[in-house]
Amino acid sequence: MARQPTDKTPAKSEDAELIRELAALLDETSLTEIELERAGLRIRVARNVTVAAALPSALPAAAGAVVAAAAAAAASSDMSKHPGVVPSPMVGTCYWAPEPGAKPFVEVGAKVSAGQTLMIIEAMKTMNQIPSPRAGTVTQILVEDGQPVEFGEPLVIIE
Amino acid sequence: MFDKILIANRGEIALRILRACKELGILTVAVHSTADADAMHVRLADESVCIGPPPSKDSYLNVPALLAACEITGADAVHPGYGFLSENARFAEILADHNLHFIGPKAEHIRLMGDKIEAKKTAKRLGIPVVPGSDGGVTPDQDALGIAKAIGFPVLVKAAAGGGGRGMKVAQTEADLALALTTAANEAKSAFGDASVYLEKYLQKPRHIEIQVLGDGRGGAIHLGERDCSLQRRHQKVWEEGPSPVLNAASRAKIGETVAKAMREMKYLGVGTIEFLYEDGEFYFIEMNTRIQVEHPVTEMITGIDLVLEQIRIAAGGDLPMQQSEVVINGHSIECRVNAENPVSFRPSPGKIQQYHPPGGLGVRIDSAVYQGYVIPPYYDSLVGKLIVHGKTRVECLMRLRRALDEMVVDGIETTLPLFRALVREPAIIDGDYHIHWLEQYLAGQQTE
Repeated sequence: MARQPTDKTPAKSEDAELIRELAALLDETSLTEIELERAGLRIRVARNVTVAAALPSALPAAAGAVVAAAAAAAASSDMSKHPGVVPSPMVGTCYWAPEPGAKPFVEVGAKVSAGQTLMIIEAMKTMNQIPSPRAGTVTQILVEDGQPVEFGEPLVIIE
Repeated sequence: MFDKILIANRGEIALRILRACKELGILTVAVHSTADADAMHVRLADESVCIGPPPSKDSYLNVPALLAACEITGADAVHPGYGFLSENARFAEILADHNLHFIGPKAEHIRLMGDKIEAKKTAKRLGIPVVPGSDGGVTPDQDALGIAKAIGFPVLVKAAAGGGGRGMKVAQTEADLALALTTAANEAKSAFGDASVYLEKYLQKPRHIEIQVLGDGRGGAIHLGERDCSLQRRHQKVWEEGPSPVLNAASRAKIGETVAKAMREMKYLGVGTIEFLYEDGEFYFIEMNTRIQVEHPVTEMITGIDLVLEQIRIAAGGDLPMQQSEVVINGHSIECRVNAENPVSFRPSPGKIQQYHPPGGLGVRIDSAVYQGYVIPPYYDSLVGKLIVHGKTRVECLMRLRRALDEMVVDGIETTLPLFRALVREPAIIDGDYHIHWLEQYLAGQQTE
């Protein structure tokens, strides 16, 4: 599913060309994500690692653009019953790290304390830190970086 | 035209909206609380987003969650249905701030008609007949008794921020007035956060007759005839029919044109209903509802116009479907609101529907989101569904309704179907000879038997 851009000006052919170049760069190198920002334009191109989708994705015309797949939703439907599950308290887009390129808040295997930030969920440009409800070890991270999540969606397993 | 509509509602109206979207080729997003995860419209929608736990304030009234759901799905318009945020001007404005379309009237008109004192002033200014009453709100320092005497007892004390039948107290004689004023003001303060009250003449045996309108927002507006919603219990409509058994074409045309003219002057956008009390041949404006109403199918059956579809078309900038001269009222339609309640005590009966068989056949329509095995949650209203019947005449319609009611099966929970089976055989109903107190008097009579 694509993020909704706030600027509604239509994509130009130069933009499509640029995205094609970035996508080619991704393939050439071992990067999984490239983000480019300059006046009036911000593009993020990421390697599509998951398959669709409990929720259908709206694919924009440009090749290689970000599609935040909700495949995790299908896989994690059984996870909602897991005793160590941490469900999402809100609707939004989740990010593993405080900002692009920074180290994720937690990784699998990390020991966390109650109240420690697990990830950020963004809605309408507001970043909300999601605290761990208890102390324990992160055994599974069930959402992709940049994935849209709904209320109650399993985010991580803490045991 | 919109690409993707987020349906900010639940139950039968959410399914109704989804159907119109599908017929227009528009993608649908169903938002739901955890209690509604198995709802019919959630299953049928292109996408769904769980927006919160069961309580309405945390889900269907949760504006940030609704906005976030629009954001992650890329919806470009929101249909609010009825109830919830459908008449929340602030919500309409917030959507506009986020470049999202609100499928409904202009925020200024929602706000105007939401304040019942201002609404009445506006109606008066636009030439719509109003109930005689205080000129605006009645404050403690004013001579309420003098105002009431000028109106003539009995009088009704009404909350300015009320509506939908709530926040009203009758003062039969002068002696009752002081208590009615303070009680109404206190109740209004706690229910609506606003203690402002106004006075109106209390009509003894009026009928409730409302006019459906459709405006294009640019000065064009048509009326689609009336619905008679006199049969109410605790101010909630139970049975609605159109045309009204007591109006002829001439009086329909007269009140319809008065209302349509007012909507043209206002440049009203979308659907709306102007509600009147009707007594001794006179119409008295009580309020305007700036939303699609529960009983809209009655008008759809007699005019052939899909009101929800037209709402969406008009919100996207489209024109009115026809001119006033092309609007034709065909036959008669009756709607019964079937609730999950005990038919005598009206105690709510949520739970699992073990057996469900809706009636069918020519002229029979069911607007319902239930299915066999569906569990009616206890958190929301108790509407199981609406049974709407159409016939060439009122007699044919009544016979068809009787047949359809006898065919309908909803087992596992208690419903008000037995009440409707009794009403459709009741002489006063068959004669169309009833008023807004009739049903409660009938029910009280049943209790004492």
